[in-house]
Amino acid sequence: MTNALSILFCLTLMYLAVTTRLRSYVLILVFQGILVAGVYTVSFFENFSATHLVIAGAVLLLRTILIPAYIVKIIRDLDMEHRDRTHRYHPGFLVQISGVIIAALLLSYQFSRMASVLVIPLGTALAGIFSGGLLIIRRRLLLAHVIGFLIIENGLFLLGVGVKAEMPWVIELGAFLDLFVLVFLMGIAMNHLKSHFPEGAGEDLTTLRD
Amino acid sequence: MMLTILLLVVLPLLAVGFTAWSRSLEKSHLATLITATAHLAATFYLLLTQRNPFAANLWLGIDPLGSFFLIILSHTFLAVALYSPGFLHRMQKPEYNASRRLYYPALNSYLLANTLVIVTQHFGLLWVVLELTTFSLAPLIYFYRSKESLEAVWKYLFLVSLGLVFLLIGILALGLAAKGTGEQASLLFADLVRVAVRLDPLWVKVGFVFALVGISAKIGLAPMHPADIDATSNAPGPVAALMAGSLRSTAMLVLLRFYEVASHTSVGEFSQRLLMIAGAFSLLVATVYIWRSRDYKRLLAYSSVEHLGIITLSTGVGGAAMLGALLHTLFNSFGKIALFFMAGRINRDLQTREIESVQDLMQRLPWSGFVFGVAFFYVVGTPPSGFFFSELLMLQGMVHARAWLVLGVFLVLLMIIFIGMSRAVLRMMQNPRRSAPPTSEPPERFHLAHAVSLYALAVSVPIAIFQPDFLFGPLRSILAEFGFSL
Repeated sequence: MTNALSILFCLTLMYLAVTTRLRSYVLILVFQGILVAGVYTVSFFENFSATHLVIAGAVLLLRTILIPAYIVKIIRDLDMEHRDRTHRYHPGFLVQISGVIIAALLLSYQFSRMASVLVIPLGTALAGIFSGGLLIIRRRLLLAHVIGFLIIENGLFLLGVGVKAEMPWVIELGAFLDLFVLVFLMGIAMNHLKSHFPEGAGEDLTTLRD
Repeated sequence: MMLTILLLVVLPLLAVGFTAWSRSLEKSHLATLITATAHLAATFYLLLTQRNPFAANLWLGIDPLGSFFLIILSHTFLAVALYSPGFLHRMQKPEYNASRRLYYPALNSYLLANTLVIVTQHFGLLWVVLELTTFSLAPLIYFYRSKESLEAVWKYLFLVSLGLVFLLIGILALGLAAKGTGEQASLLFADLVRVAVRLDPLWVKVGFVFALVGISAKIGLAPMHPADIDATSNAPGPVAALMAGSLRSTAMLVLLRFYEVASHTSVGEFSQRLLMIAGAFSLLVATVYIWRSRDYKRLLAYSSVEHLGIITLSTGVGGAAMLGALLHTLFNSFGKIALFFMAGRINRDLQTREIESVQDLMQRLPWSGFVFGVAFFYVVGTPPSGFFFSELLMLQGMVHARAWLVLGVFLVLLMIIFIGMSRAVLRMMQNPRRSAPPTSEPPERFHLAHAVSLYALAVSVPIAIFQPDFLFGPLRSILAEFGFSL
């Protein structure tokens, strides 16, 4: 079951490569949130406790409701819906993401020979981290960069599951709070950026240089 | 002991609440000043007694390393708290109203977050509170609400958070390394050091590499330094002093926590080499950009990259060089307080950040020019400044370790940096302007900022010469924790 959910996560990454609509990015985040919570629940199912329930609930609340809803609000407030194509579709990006997924799974398999890890979830986690990074590099809009960062965070959460590293619940919840505050601050900054950089594109931020 | 915890953690928390609630800047300033003084008193008490006031099950605690870094934080924060009312008094334009309102709550949040980073004894919790330091700085960096400060805060938030992703991967790798020990995997520093010899070296190596890359964005080590440079150079003077004087030191402490674990394993030598490479590379990058800089605030920000590079490099060498590195961290905070306070005043009075446009500083702003000049001679290691003694210790350590290549690179780059900085700063200080200035401005008077800066510069001299035991005792304990003796 963990493997099946992880493979679905990889498919959301493929969709990430072919879509250029901001709304689709938000949809991907919602799906990934559900999948991440699912992988977490299934992997700890045998000794599932109230703590696990709280963390899984927090993942669902934060990654599938609060953050996506906040991003939709930013899209509306900044009137980005009419120009939601951040970049024209490029098949090369699909090839790159596919390559990243295959490489991540192979890397995870190599790790499994050295330590006790879950191969598919770990590979998926690495693929998520690298794909989020690729999205930041390939897309112009700052909002797409924030989405890329959130995909990296999803990958990071899966990484914890993949290497079977269980953090104390206080720390897990603290990390969620951090993530929420960070996205909130980035949202505020984007609102201000709109007045200085109407395009909202990463390449506009070149005032500061040596 | 309970009182110490109250002064260290609870009082800053109360100060955050009070300053957020209070509408009066005067009351907020008073609350911040009381908090800063109490915090400094508590950290001195901890340094002198070397006692841990926290219960063991709290994942919080004070060790020699923590008590030393607390002193750096407290000192810098008190200096900034003293400087702040004068700074805010000058920021009267309506566009600064929101920033003025946020200033003291953010400043106290900064103190709270940094204190938590220093007293945390658990890698997981460390990661959580480290992010808080970034959040507390965001409104402070964005104080001027200009296009440049907005770009700087965006890049800082984004790149530092990406760096922290790498740091978390490093922490997870350490967790994996601990799994192989057969004991309950714990991410407490003391537990990891205790079982260090049984940690899986491969995962420790992976963990250290990711931690170094990740925390570099916050320390300001090349090549992760650009966001830090932009933020430091576009933030107001007191905020830049806080960042260069204490935030980078706190981030350095995080790196030292990882290094402490690694140094007790077979990966110790590898991590030493990595620190030396990272430090030397930062020094090289700083050298290039110090020569290229046309903006004196960016020049000072690159000087921070230089000094953090020196500290990282010497930590990697170990022994006396590491003692020099620790002292250098303390003295760096003193020097950066003076430099950024004066840079802020020069920027305000002359309305320019271009080196070319600032000439004849000693005539135009005699006090700020004088203190800026003294601070410049301090940071380039002129005797009897603290930097001179700490760099001497580093050289001694390098000779003792027979690290000749490191020694050569260190000396050559320091010399080039000295010439590059002198070229810029001396031009600002003395070069007479071609046209006469308008003479309607009243002459500059001696200000509290000058007194605080001069104090910060002077205090390093007796510390370096007399080597008081209350400071050097803990420093020797820190070296022993890393497996070095003098």
